Amino acid sequence: MGVDSVSISEKPRPAEPPSTVHSYNVRICHWINLVACVYLLWSGVHVFLDFPELYWGHTGYRGYPAAFRLADWGLSWEQAGALGDRRWGRNYHFTFAWVFLINGLVYVLWNLYSTHFRTRMLASHSSYGTLQRASYLVLIFVFVPLMILTGIAQSPGFTAAMPALLDLFGGRQTARTLHTIGTVVLVLFVLVHVVEVARAGFFVKVRSMITGK
Amino acid sequence: MSTPISRRAWLTSVPAALGGLLLTGCSRERFIPPRVRGGLIGAADVLTMSTNRLLLSGQPLAREYSRSDVADPFPTWNQTNPRNAEYQRHASEGFGSWRLPVGGLVARPRELSLDEIRRLPARTQITAHVCEQGWSAIGEWTGVALQRVLEEAGGVTPAARYVVIDTFDGWYEGYDLFEVAHAQTILAYGLNGRDLPRGNGAPLRLRVERQCGYKNLKFLKSIRVVDSMAGIGRGTGGINSDFGFHWFAGV
Repeated sequence: MGVDSVSISEKPRPAEPPSTVHSYNVRICHWINLVACVYLLWSGVHVFLDFPELYWGHTGYRGYPAAFRLADWGLSWEQAGALGDRRWGRNYHFTFAWVFLINGLVYVLWNLYSTHFRTRMLASHSSYGTLQRASYLVLIFVFVPLMILTGIAQSPGFTAAMPALLDLFGGRQTARTLHTIGTVVLVLFVLVHVVEVARAGFFVKVRSMITGK
Repeated sequence: MSTPISRRAWLTSVPAALGGLLLTGCSRERFIPPRVRGGLIGAADVLTMSTNRLLLSGQPLAREYSRSDVADPFPTWNQTNPRNAEYQRHASEGFGSWRLPVGGLVARPRELSLDEIRRLPARTQITAHVCEQGWSAIGEWTGVALQRVLEEAGGVTPAARYVVIDTFDGWYEGYDLFEVAHAQTILAYGLNGRDLPRGNGAPLRLRVERQCGYKNLKFLKSIRVVDSMAGIGRGTGGINSDFGFHWFAGV
């Protein structure tokens, strides 16, 4: 009867067929992730503007040979400093770093436990293309961990506890430079992602990521 | 019948014991800032500090570099010459009559001259100064452990929770006893083998190698030991957090 139909529909499906429906875990994590990433990007820009130079190695300060100077691109140190508010930037960067990390762990652990990664990211019959699946997997399991590590490799507290972080990247200034380059790559990734969504039908895809239908 | 009760007792006693261990056994101020800010930012502050402090439980040393890594001259930032009249008088006299009062919750409050501080066991460390703005530079710092200076005043009393440092440029910061106990937490009077230059904080500056630059106060004026940061400045625990920066600057 009614009870039977419920239990049937809740039975685990043996091999999830190709589908565009997102589980509600994926949907919730996606939108929390979007908010966290917007805050991380914007606050990161503020932190960067307050010291708009990049260096390689362990050392870097005003007057030290720089790998990148915003002043070479038309925005002087003082102009950049006037645009950036590092107090706001630091407060929100570290707050949303935690939101991003916890949300990301929930997403990964939940989907390792469920079948999301196996059926949609690894299976050859997935609704995603090979390149698409590869880029999402690299993003989640390689790129994002590197962003987190290059972030905490700049921290005097974390590097005292884990000095290997300094050796891994060859210094906290190198870590800061890689963190900044990684940000640019991430922004490009998101742009491509949004273009892909738009090509597939922006309204339908965004609705599906909200409602799961 | 006894089984469900003991199970329930387990369920409640284990978190209570863990919480108690965290808050009393290891002392609350080791994991939580003196005043926790509201909202998500405050929650993140607590997560950042407690994660850091758990990882640093064994008090490992921050990376020490070799002499060839040193920046000489060492960069200067912010205040390089406090206008304070008392400071200027001391500077013109070569800090000969400057004294560092060590007071508050210590057994024997006293004052130390620069010579007396220099005669205490010295430690030299080549470490990176990491500014929260993003720059970092390596310097060779020579000084005496803050813990040793407190011992010169008879050590802290059982009620002590924070060490407050005041400076001639009007800054102040509080440090919990876990930070104070670290071997690299020193009062430095030497930089790169010479007397500490005025621009880098003469006659004496603090080095807390596991926190950002703004916790490494320059131009020290006095040290006092307190049981609470309430009532000092705006009560957040330091001038930087009074202005909205993190009190715990390990990131």
